Amino acid sequence: MASSMLLRSMLPRTFASATGRNVLRSASQVRASSTTQYVPGGPIIKGTVNDPIEFPPPSRTHGSYHWAFERLLAASLVPMTAAAFVTSGSSYPVLDGLLGLSLVMHSHIGFDSMIVDYVHKRKFPILGPVMTWTLRTATVGVLVGVYQFNTNDIGLTELIAKVWTA
Amino acid sequence: MMSARIGLGSVTRRVAFAPVIGRNQIALRTLILKRGVQIQSLPPSASEEILNAQRLKRPSSPHFTIYQPQLTWLSSIANRATGGALSALLYGFSLAYLVAPDTFTSVNIVEFVAGLPDYLKYTGKLILAAPFTFHFWNGLRHLSWDMGKLLSLKGAYRAGYAVLGATAISTVALVLM
Repeated sequence: MASSMLLRSMLPRTFASATGRNVLRSASQVRASSTTQYVPGGPIIKGTVNDPIEFPPPSRTHGSYHWAFERLLAASLVPMTAAAFVTSGSSYPVLDGLLGLSLVMHSHIGFDSMIVDYVHKRKFPILGPVMTWTLRTATVGVLVGVYQFNTNDIGLTELIAKVWTA
Repeated sequence: MMSARIGLGSVTRRVAFAPVIGRNQIALRTLILKRGVQIQSLPPSASEEILNAQRLKRPSSPHFTIYQPQLTWLSSIANRATGGALSALLYGFSLAYLVAPDTFTSVNIVEFVAGLPDYLKYTGKLILAAPFTFHFWNGLRHLSWDMGKLLSLKGAYRAGYAVLGATAISTVALVLM
């Protein structure tokens, strides 16, 4: 027992729990967790009840920077929408283009949040990533479409203004 | 822990606590069984398999269907639903224009809308304006939370009612425009 404790303290943290689990297993010989099928999001847990949950690696790009970017983008949409209301899209095409780009990015982030909330890849190992990549493909298509419409046609703000008063 | 399935526990208990006079007869009758009970010998590791098989069959208690409707979560899901619907419209139109630019020109669209009867025009404006205004005002409420304001229950409810009022007023204004 003393030798395995020494071993556990010297190994890096990721391996320490493994040796701890082996010690438990040899002591009680009850759980055969390696043979039990793990059901993602279901009532069958990975490992034993004493194993901690796995977290994604900490990263500012997917964490605080993503959050701040999302809020700043949403905040910037407010003055842009107000400006688009009072001007016409043809007089300020740059504003129109910026608004279109920001709207598409805002929509993409919103859809991505819905995918992460309802079809997370931890519980839906195939459908989750499929939907994520479908969304990314669709967003690329939408960006091209918005660019084409703003360049070859009258632009989003003009269209809405014309349809509204048609 | 011995995981052996034996079906005679209650039976033998009944025999043991029966009055002394009739005990032998009861014992004989109950042990010569009406229904055959199988005794299955299992290793200790099988207990986890049995437990997990039971867990998979267990139902989950109702939560989503029975939670009391409240302004907090109703406005939150409405914000997501309106945003999703408006974004789906944007994505749908943009992809349609990408695929068939000659069908979805602005001239075609404006002509099509102009040809609709008046009541359909007002309905269409209502269907577009209400989600947009709600998402706009509730978005401002959400951004104020992100800045640390209105995070109390009172603050959230007051802002929620203000959002509903602003939505109604601005929807009417937009539809009449």
